[in-house]
Amino acid sequence: MDDCTSGEEDYYYSDRDSLDGLENDESDVQWVPPKGPSSKVITKESLLAAQREDLRRVMELLSLREFHARTLLIHYRWDVEKLFAVLVEKGKPFLFDEAGVTVVEKDDLDSFIFATVSCDICMEDVPGTAVTKMECGHNFCNDCWTEHFIVKINEGQSKRIRCMAHKCNAICDEAVIRNLVRKRHPDLAEKFDRFLLESYIEDNKMVKWCPSTPHCGNAIRVEDDEFCEVECSCGLQFCFSCLADAHSPCSCLMWELWTKKCRDESETVNWITVHTKPCPKCHKPVEKNGGCNLVSCICGQAFCWLCGGATGRDHTWSRINGHSCGRYKEDREKNAERAKRDLYRYMHYHNRYKAHTDSFKLESNLKETIREKVSNLEKKDSRLRDFSWVTNGLYRLFRSRRVLSYSYPFAFYMFGDDLFKDEMTNAEREIKQNLFEDQQQQLEANVEKLSKFVEEPFDQFAEDKVMQIRMQVINLSVITDNLCKKMYDCIENELLGSLQFGIHNIAPYQSKGIEKATELSVCWNPKDENTEKCPTPYSPNGIVTEPGRPSGSGSSYEGGCSSRNKRPRTGSLGSCTIDLNLPADVID
Amino acid sequence: MVDFARVQKELHECNKDIEVSGISIKLKEDNNNSLTHLTGTIPGPLATPYEGGNFNIDIVLPDGYPFEPPRMQFATKVWHPNISSQSGAICLDILKDQWSPALTLKTALLSVQALLSAPEPDDPQDAVVAQQYLRDYQTFAATARYWTETFARSSTLGIEDKVKKLVEMGFPEAQVRSTLESVGGDENMALEKLCSG
Ligand SMILES: [Zn+2]
Ligand SMILES: [Zn+2]
Ligand SMILES: [Zn+2]
Ligand SMILES: [Zn+2]
Ligand SMILES: [Zn+2]
Ligand SMILES: [Zn+2]
Ligand SMILES: [Zn+2]
Repeated sequence: MDDCTSGEEDYYYSDRDSLDGLENDESDVQWVPPKGPSSKVITKESLLAAQREDLRRVMELLSLREFHARTLLIHYRWDVEKLFAVLVEKGKPFLFDEAGVTVVEKDDLDSFIFATVSCDICMEDVPGTAVTKMECGHNFCNDCWTEHFIVKINEGQSKRIRCMAHKCNAICDEAVIRNLVRKRHPDLAEKFDRFLLESYIEDNKMVKWCPSTPHCGNAIRVEDDEFCEVECSCGLQFCFSCLADAHSPCSCLMWELWTKKCRDESETVNWITVHTKPCPKCHKPVEKNGGCNLVSCICGQAFCWLCGGATGRDHTWSRINGHSCGRYKEDREKNAERAKRDLYRYMHYHNRYKAHTDSFKLESNLKETIREKVSNLEKKDSRLRDFSWVTNGLYRLFRSRRVLSYSYPFAFYMFGDDLFKDEMTNAEREIKQNLFEDQQQQLEANVEKLSKFVEEPFDQFAEDKVMQIRMQVINLSVITDNLCKKMYDCIENELLGSLQFGIHNIAPYQSKGIEKATELSVCWNPKDENTEKCPTPYSPNGIVTEPGRPSGSGSSYEGGCSSRNKRPRTGSLGSCTIDLNLPADVID
Repeated sequence: MVDFARVQKELHECNKDIEVSGISIKLKEDNNNSLTHLTGTIPGPLATPYEGGNFNIDIVLPDGYPFEPPRMQFATKVWHPNISSQSGAICLDILKDQWSPALTLKTALLSVQALLSAPEPDDPQDAVVAQQYLRDYQTFAATARYWTETFARSSTLGIEDKVKKLVEMGFPEAQVRSTLESVGGDENMALEKLCSG
């Protein structure tokens, strides 16, 4: 708390900034990239530019024509680094041969045109002017080439159309294909171009279509880590690795198992709900506890599980005191016990997971209420003018709540028998589970506290009280952030880190929330300062370009041709800028 | 649309040197003389269990021919790891993704003939045959020879004639048939075996 009491307003953003945050849904998760975020949104419009960036690098390094570069890149799944590594390791001839690239001096081609050429495909003599020679040296008549291209494009093989000669591995020049096909079939030529373009997404390990339904039309490119979570400009947050909804700190496998289990168990859970019995006295549902058919309600009433009738509290092997429905017997079947224990274990985790997910949904509705509260507070004549703590607190609540709810399925698998049974002894497991649950409980307690304060009708309170709540919210924001970070530390180092066999990668903790992928700059040379070369920044649905605003140090952001949707908040306010979303140690 | 001009030329070229290659391509009868449905014939390669047989191959030309591969399958029953003993379907790369428009029906049939001499049991079409080829080559060869004798030899003595001949010599019919099968239909070998056993 001490960290935050002094300094006051200077430490926080201007009111204007925090209000911007509320008014614009697109920017309300206040992710401020440290050096420019590593994931990019690729729209239909910027796809060409994204692809050209990679083509350019390969063309320049190897002095190649575009279609050769594309052939190489398609072969190496648009992994420029891998391509360069193969080049260094195995040399150019190997690289080209593998991918079907044949480079010849331009002079060798069409050096001499025969009057007539016999085409081996149609077996006709055709004028030399109606013949095309590919770079591999094979020539056939244009009609045959065209027919070949049409068949291949229709087969969906646009990305690698090989020469017609038997056993010739060379990939045909895309310009030749385009020109010949366009003459007979303009639609198909367009389809061909689209296939080539989309290969950048479909054959690329670092680029994936956004999994939104209906599809937003975007793809996301990440820079160096596939195990991350991103937010598309359409608002969908997803795991880049498995394309499911964001699920960290669960690994992809855990999440897959969990969602499947939730589907499968829902019936069993229903069954158990049906099979709780109402207490004969207070009518609350009572679960059977253990194998004994004498059950007792929290109200103190004991009753018989078999017939539901009220009984006394004593029983012998043969009868319950005060009751004789005649069907009472101990159920000692081990298997049934075990199955039930598993189910209860699942329900334990599922209930908590679900409770937090539900809270998350409810709290999401708070955005609107919070906006009202802030505007009410602003109308008051008060020495408190900055309300960014309100929104920051709210977003901290969202993020911690999320971590908390996914920590339950994580724990279910981490300490259960499904995945790591042989990785730990029971004693080890118990120690680790205690360690983890301590952290989980601390986080839980603080998240609930934060939630309570954020929900207070503080716009109706006197200023002193508002100041108190403000301190609590700021303080709890820092605490929950730290606790989340600690929990991730524990997961990554103590728990998953010590495993022998499991391959469980989790997306790292993002104190500022899941990274919002930024619109890919249409300017494809980041170092190019010359803005004239940059086409007008494309600014699609809801992405605001802010030409009027001072963009920090200008060209340091993506070469000055930025179509960024983020306010450059850090930097413009000088050295004393602080983001409340930052953990406490940064605030000091 | 099938390039009929080319198909005409191919037929002409192929049947011109039938004496050398032994390979012929004819229009399939009963089919209104359509150029899209043909029958190819290849002789079984020498020094293989298929020697002496003549194998008919059913050829259907798709609309995209020659830019799409011709569809070929054995009309004659044959015992071979890469050819289905049931349907005659052929597992051969140039009839699939390795097809090139520069290949012709004749070169394709030559490849099929080459497949008869060099089976690829690791990429089988008929798993049963492939298993047998790998585990018990003797039995495989005998069966293949028997199938060749039975189904691919129209000109010389048919299997029934051989059975009749041996039965007339005084051997029981069931024994004659099983012995003939075990030696791949070779009349002399069967006689030898019947006498010794
Ligand atoms: Zn031609
Ligand atoms: Zn070629
Ligand atoms: Zn999207
Ligand atoms: Zn995942
Ligand atoms: Zn009760
Ligand atoms: Zn009991
Ligand atoms: Zn009872």
